[in-house]
Amino acid sequence: MAEVRITGGCQCGAVRYALHEQPSGPHICHCRMCQKAFGSFFAPLAGVAMDKFEVTRGAISYFRSSDEVERGFCALCGTPLIFHYVGKPRLAFALGSLDEPAKIQPREQFGIEARMPWFGELAALPGDKTTEEDNADLAAAIAHSNHQHPDHDTAEWPLASSTR
Amino acid sequence: MCEKQFGAFYGPFVTGIDVVWTRGERKRFASSNAAFRGFCADCGTPLTFEMDGGVELAIGAFDDPNVAAPVLQVNPNDKLPFVDGIPSLPTRPVSEKTPLDQRMPGFVNYQHPDYDTAEWPPIHGLGGEFHG
Repeated sequence: MAEVRITGGCQCGAVRYALHEQPSGPHICHCRMCQKAFGSFFAPLAGVAMDKFEVTRGAISYFRSSDEVERGFCALCGTPLIFHYVGKPRLAFALGSLDEPAKIQPREQFGIEARMPWFGELAALPGDKTTEEDNADLAAAIAHSNHQHPDHDTAEWPLASSTR
Repeated sequence: MCEKQFGAFYGPFVTGIDVVWTRGERKRFASSNAAFRGFCADCGTPLTFEMDGGVELAIGAFDDPNVAAPVLQVNPNDKLPFVDGIPSLPTRPVSEKTPLDQRMPGFVNYQHPDYDTAEWPPIHGLGGEFHG
């Protein structure tokens, strides 16, 4: 069987990681602590054994959100990355930090006591144009100077030519 | 770009008017030469999208996110294929999610409460324990 290698990392690329097994239990958690950690309506997470989770670049910073839990993030760009019950052999990682987030689909909702009352209506909201349609000049400027790490591993980062 | 900033499937934002930072200061990452993305350097919470002098605020970071229910989706072409189906996913019964302080004797929450505080972290040092 081919070795599993699923990669991801933060927005700026200072932290990169690789999973060496298929993640388990992909879900979203609506609880208030996950909302705050992600600045959003929920945290999208899946589990992996810690010895199958390899940090391939940089280091993850941690905030101890309680005695029981530490939450990992990139100290240089803020991307939320990890939820971990302290002392447990498994951790959960943020699905949106994957290079290919479309490949791991959440299957369950946790923490529904804190679910936003209008959460079910978001899908029906009117859609705006894309930035490319709406503001081509801006989209071009962003594409030209995009400092986000690309969605694949890189030998070197940031690039020497980067203006970051 | 918002997916990566939030480690999630989208960035929930509302336009901030006359924003005042009442404690600390956000750290900013220049995600391109057109925009900054602000966050807390101590815990990572995504806080802002900033462009042309304007500030968009992360809705989930509000003490009450209900103050800003979204009314519009931006960049729908980049939406992950499963996002619209998320609200219909099966849910864990609430009973399985007893608050941690009831499930775990001695549990202490270090997250800032959802209201302003005169002092933080508390003097007796319950919060502010950072690793890494």
